[in-house]
Amino acid sequence: MQRWMALIAALLAVLALAACGGGDDEGTDTAAGTTEPAQVEGTVRVIMEEVPDTDVVEDMLPAFKKQYPNVDVEIEALPYDQMRDRIVSSFLASKPTYDLIIVDNPWMYDFAEGGFLEPLDDRIDATKGFDFEDYSAPLREIATVDGQVYGVPFYNYALALVYRKDLYDKAGLKPPTTLDELQQAAAKLTTDGRAGIAMQPQTGYKIFEEWANYLFAAGGSIQDDEGNVTLDSPEAREALQKYIDIYQESAPENSLNWAFDESIRAVSSDKAAQLLSYNWMLPTLNREAGDDRFAIAEVPGGKAVLGAWYWSIPANSANPDAAWSFISWLGSPEHERERVIAGGAPVRNSALDDEEVWQKGFGRDYYQTVKAALEDAEPLANGPNAEEMITVVGEELNAAVAGQKSVDQAITDAAKRAQETLDQ
Amino acid sequence: MLDRIPLGARFLAPLLVLVGLVVAYPLGYSLWLSLTSRTITQRETEFVGLDQYTGLLSDGEFGTAMRNTLVFVVLAVTIELVLGLLLALALQRQERVRNLTRSFLLTPMFVTPIAVGLMFRFLLNQQLGAIPQLLDVFGITIDFFGSSLALITIVFIDVWQWTPFMVLLLLAGLESLPRQPFEAARIDGASTWMTFRRVTLPLLRPVIGIAVLLRALDAFKIFEYVFATTRGGPGDATITAQFEIYRTGFQFFRLAEAAAMAFVLVGIVLLLSIALYRLLMRQEPATR
Repeated sequence: MQRWMALIAALLAVLALAACGGGDDEGTDTAAGTTEPAQVEGTVRVIMEEVPDTDVVEDMLPAFKKQYPNVDVEIEALPYDQMRDRIVSSFLASKPTYDLIIVDNPWMYDFAEGGFLEPLDDRIDATKGFDFEDYSAPLREIATVDGQVYGVPFYNYALALVYRKDLYDKAGLKPPTTLDELQQAAAKLTTDGRAGIAMQPQTGYKIFEEWANYLFAAGGSIQDDEGNVTLDSPEAREALQKYIDIYQESAPENSLNWAFDESIRAVSSDKAAQLLSYNWMLPTLNREAGDDRFAIAEVPGGKAVLGAWYWSIPANSANPDAAWSFISWLGSPEHERERVIAGGAPVRNSALDDEEVWQKGFGRDYYQTVKAALEDAEPLANGPNAEEMITVVGEELNAAVAGQKSVDQAITDAAKRAQETLDQ
Repeated sequence: MLDRIPLGARFLAPLLVLVGLVVAYPLGYSLWLSLTSRTITQRETEFVGLDQYTGLLSDGEFGTAMRNTLVFVVLAVTIELVLGLLLALALQRQERVRNLTRSFLLTPMFVTPIAVGLMFRFLLNQQLGAIPQLLDVFGITIDFFGSSLALITIVFIDVWQWTPFMVLLLLAGLESLPRQPFEAARIDGASTWMTFRRVTLPLLRPVIGIAVLLRALDAFKIFEYVFATTRGGPGDATITAQFEIYRTGFQFFRLAEAAAMAFVLVGIVLLLSIALYRLLMRQEPATR
C-alpha cells in the first residue's frame, strides 16, 4: 500500500516537472499556473444562483471544454434563498456536494474564519497573467480575510440609480447628486399612474441595502476601520428621515414589504420612474422595453453599497485543482472581457476600460459609471456575523418606516444591536 | 435466549428500532445540541448546560415570535373552524354536483404552502396585484402588509389554504352521525338552530376536537407564508417561532440556540395540546 502511494507521488512529481518545462505555449495566460490544461482532469460540481450571469457562464462552458478537455463542469443553479443552506451543508458533509462555490460578500468572513474555504494566494501567484490588482480595491478587500485571499471576484452588484431617461428629459431633470435632488426628482416624477421612485423597504437585508446608500450620501458610515459600529450618528438619522420622506411622498402606495422583485417589476411595467438597484439590471430592463429608455447614474452622493459574488474553493472540495482551472480560466482578463461582452456584470477594470467591450456591450457611459461606482463602494458589513448584523439593522430601519418606532429610537437600537451582534 | 423475551415484545422490536432511528435519535441529538454552544462557524463546542434556555428568557425577539405565533394559531384555527363548519353543513345538504363542488373546494390544500405565499404576495400587491385593483373599484385601499394588518393577512392566507381541511374532516364527521337523534328532534319540533346547538354540536364534538388539534399543531409550524411575504416585517410584527428558529440556526449559524428554541416550542405545543385534548374530549355525561 505504502509503496503504491510513493509510486504515485513520484509520478505526480515527474508530471509536475514536465508541466513546468513545457508550459509556455497554448493557454499559459489562462491555465492553472504550472499545469498543462490537458493534465487537469476530473469533475467540478459548482453551485450558482439562478440569475442572468449564470447563463452567461454556462454559455462559455464549451469554450472552456476546448481548452480543458478533461475537466467536466457541472453547474447547479438555485434560487438565492436556498444557496447558503446548501453550501453550509456541503461544508459539513463528509463527502462534499460542491467542489466550487460562489460566495456572496456578507458570507465571506464567516466562511473563511470557519476554515471552510481554501486560501487562494498561492494559486493566484502561480497563475501567469492573472492580475489580481486589476480588481478595484473594495472588491479585493472583501475577499481578503486576515491577510489571506479566499475568493476571486465573479461579478459585482454595486448599487446604482436606474432611471427612466425619457421621463427625466421630459421633466428637464438631471440625475440627482444629493439626497435633496433625489427627493425633488422623485416628487416631480410622481403622477397618478406612476410612482416617482420604487423602493424596497422589506425588513432585513433589502431595506438596509437600499438605505445604506442614503447613509453614505448623508456622510454617515456603518463601521469604522477597526470594525466598530458607527451607525449612531446625526447623519444616520438624517438619512433615515430622508428615506421615510421619499417613501411617503413618492414610492408606490402600501409597498412596505416590497423587495427587489416588486420594485423591478414596477419600473419595468412603467409604474415607477426609477429605483436604486443593481447596475446590471440596466441591460435587462432596456432589452425588455425594446429601446434605451433606461439609464444608470451613480447613486446620489457617489458612494454606493457594494455587493459582489466570489469564486471560492471549499476546503473539502473533491477536486480543488480542476476547480481552480475553471476559476483562473473564466477570471482571466481575456475571458472576463468575453464574459462582459456577452452580458455578464464586470469586475475587472481592464474590461471596464476596454473599447471593444464598450462597442459590443452597452456603451462607454455604462461601463465608466460602473467603474466609478466600484472604486469607492463599500459593503454593508465586513467581519463576523455579517448576515445577522445586516438583518437586525434592517429590522430596525423597517420598523421606523412602518411607524412603529421613531427615527431616533430606530437608529439608537440599530446601532446597539449591530454592535452586540459583532461582539458575540 | 430469544425465547425469554415475550412474543409481543419480539413483534414490537422492529418497530421500536425504526422509531428509535428516525425519531429518537434526531430528537436526542438536537436535545444534546441545545445544551452546548455549537455554532456552524466555530469548530470547538463546549457543554453549557441550560445556558441557551436561560438566554432565551431575556431574548426579546424570541418572546415576540412566540406571541405572534400564538395569536396566529388562535385566530387562524378559530376562523377555519367556524368557516369549515358552515361549509360542511352546507355541503351536507347539497344534492347536485356534490363531487365536483367538493373536489373544487379542496384544491387549495394541494398547493405547496410556499407557492401559496408567493401567490398572495403578488395578488395583494397594491400596484401589481388583482385584489387591490378589485377593491379599488369600490374605493377601498387596504395596506395588507402594513404594521397593523400584516399578521392578520397571513392568518387569512392560512385560512384560504387550510379551511378545506376542516371541511373535509367535519363533513366526514357529519355524514357518519346517527340519524335517529335528528329524527327525534324533528318530531319534537326543535328549530334548526336548536337541532344544531343541542344535537349536531355535541355529537360532532370528538371530530371537532381532532380537527382543531390537527390544525393547531400544523399552524404552530407557520413558516412559508412569512418567508414568502414579509420576512417577519414590518419591524418584528410577523416573526413567528419557526421563522425565528430558521433564522437563528441557518442564517445566523447558532445551531445550539435554535435547538433550544425548538425545544421550548415543542414544550409549549405539548402542554397546549394536552390542555386542548382534555377540554374537547371531556365526556359530557348528559348527552350519552
